[in-house]
Amino acid sequence: MEDVIRTEKLTKHYGSVHAVEDVSLQVRKGEIYGFLGLNGAGKTTTIRMLLGMIRPSAGSAFLWGKKVGPGTSDLWEKVGYMVETPSSYPELTVWENLEIMRRLRGIPDKKTVDAVIGKLRLDAYRDIKTEHLSSGNAQRLGLAKALLHNPEILILDEPANGLDPAGIVEIRELFKDLTLHHGVTIFVSSHILGEMSKFVTRIGIIHEGRLVQEINADQLEHLLFKRLMVNARDTEAVRLYLTREGYSVTPSENGNLEITGKDATDHPEHISRILVQAGFPPTLLKVEEEDLESYFLRTIGADE
Amino acid sequence: MKNIYPAVWAECLKWYRSKILWITILAFIFIPCMMGVLMFVVKNPEFAGKLGLIGTKSAMIRFGNTDWQTYLGLLNQIIAGAGLLCFAFVTSWVFGREYSDRTLKDLLALPVSRSSIVIAKFIFVALWCVFLSVILFTSGLVVGALVQLSGWSGAIVFQNAYLFIVTSLLTILLCSTVAFVASYGRGYLAPVGFAIFTLVLAQFTGVVGLGPYYPWGIPILFSTAPGAESIPLGMISYSILFLTSIAGVIGTLAWWHYADQY
Repeated sequence: MEDVIRTEKLTKHYGSVHAVEDVSLQVRKGEIYGFLGLNGAGKTTTIRMLLGMIRPSAGSAFLWGKKVGPGTSDLWEKVGYMVETPSSYPELTVWENLEIMRRLRGIPDKKTVDAVIGKLRLDAYRDIKTEHLSSGNAQRLGLAKALLHNPEILILDEPANGLDPAGIVEIRELFKDLTLHHGVTIFVSSHILGEMSKFVTRIGIIHEGRLVQEINADQLEHLLFKRLMVNARDTEAVRLYLTREGYSVTPSENGNLEITGKDATDHPEHISRILVQAGFPPTLLKVEEEDLESYFLRTIGADE
Repeated sequence: MKNIYPAVWAECLKWYRSKILWITILAFIFIPCMMGVLMFVVKNPEFAGKLGLIGTKSAMIRFGNTDWQTYLGLLNQIIAGAGLLCFAFVTSWVFGREYSDRTLKDLLALPVSRSSIVIAKFIFVALWCVFLSVILFTSGLVVGALVQLSGWSGAIVFQNAYLFIVTSLLTILLCSTVAFVASYGRGYLAPVGFAIFTLVLAQFTGVVGLGPYYPWGIPILFSTAPGAESIPLGMISYSILFLTSIAGVIGTLAWWHYADQY
């Protein structure tokens, strides 16, 4: 499938600070690429280079195979973006802020602004000055600007910031719809990892400016740690028994026993059976999967 | 032009909705009003005692005659001096606010080129400054008429209107340097500081006789009606001013195009 977004050894140095170092990634058409990293990892700098806002110290970024630069204004016709906290002209209303963007983007249809206001559920705030918007609605306005012209590529920096849980779900469903039904390619950065895992198709993990791992969402399941949580009336006796049986058992912080290893996580029914036979019927038997947050911290080595 | 028009429209909308529109209009009406009060007090010395500080000040300032020639001459010097500062404020608002409001990022990856955005801002600054100059001159005429200054003649008004228009345009041309400082300094503070500095330096260069070679001193010298005290300006002076203006435009365009934008 065609690479819509591509970077080649993208690098940005600020003096001795290596903000981004040799980042090479590809995003295919229709993908939702989640760009994960801690604050200061280089996410926003990478996004700014993708949008031609800052010049790479080395390497290049390409959209549809065309090199990105400050003079490539024709490229942006089909690109929607939101960088960092969305900003707007505070003395203008939501509608006026969007109308400015409609005119600057050369969109002839005057109904476009009202359509995107409806799509982002900003109807009640249409004629409100943006200085009076809550952070959640300011975020929606930022997304409305990005979606105004029905872009083919969306580049979004922390789009869920400031949104309430219902808003996050709503935006997630919107992104899914855009990719599934409109073929939109989305490059989205975030540090809200749990949320990201629910809708991205591929994940790139950036740490200290370097892309440390790229994985498909469907591969993620195989990479995540699993553990079997067990409890019984006499946990100490169960621990000794299972250890004798050859399992790796450690007490967890909440009083349960934690068993790792594929034998246990793939066949919890076997554990259940031998515990019953040994006279320790389990009161809890549950396979827990590592969440994306733990996986991320393990990948960048921050959990040590 | 097709690309520039929507950017100019956007500037007009921001301007129309802002408080600064009315602040600048009131400031440019207030200046001739204060001049009118001082002229009135000079013309009627019996009021000086009753008006306290204003009376004392007006007595200290030697206007010369309280006629139209003197009054319009002062108006010309004001557009060169205070205009330099006010136009710089206007320019810093148009360019610097995109940085301080963090709205610049929304203008950088659009189908409209960055050059079009910058040129649109320059066009808008010029229009706004011309608008303010017209307000200053017309309100000056109204105030002068209310104070009933002596020596009215069409020739005096036309001669001073010509000086006023050219002084305004020369001052407006220097706004490009303020735009560059606003972009380079990413906000309001640096350009306003720069404008104050250039104005202070204009006074100094005027004293030491370098005014004709100092871009920000040239409009002030031009605003002085030709006479015994005026310093003649030659092609070198105008060339210096135009080159400074062009350098400001090119510098701003280059900054928006080549510098990293945050």
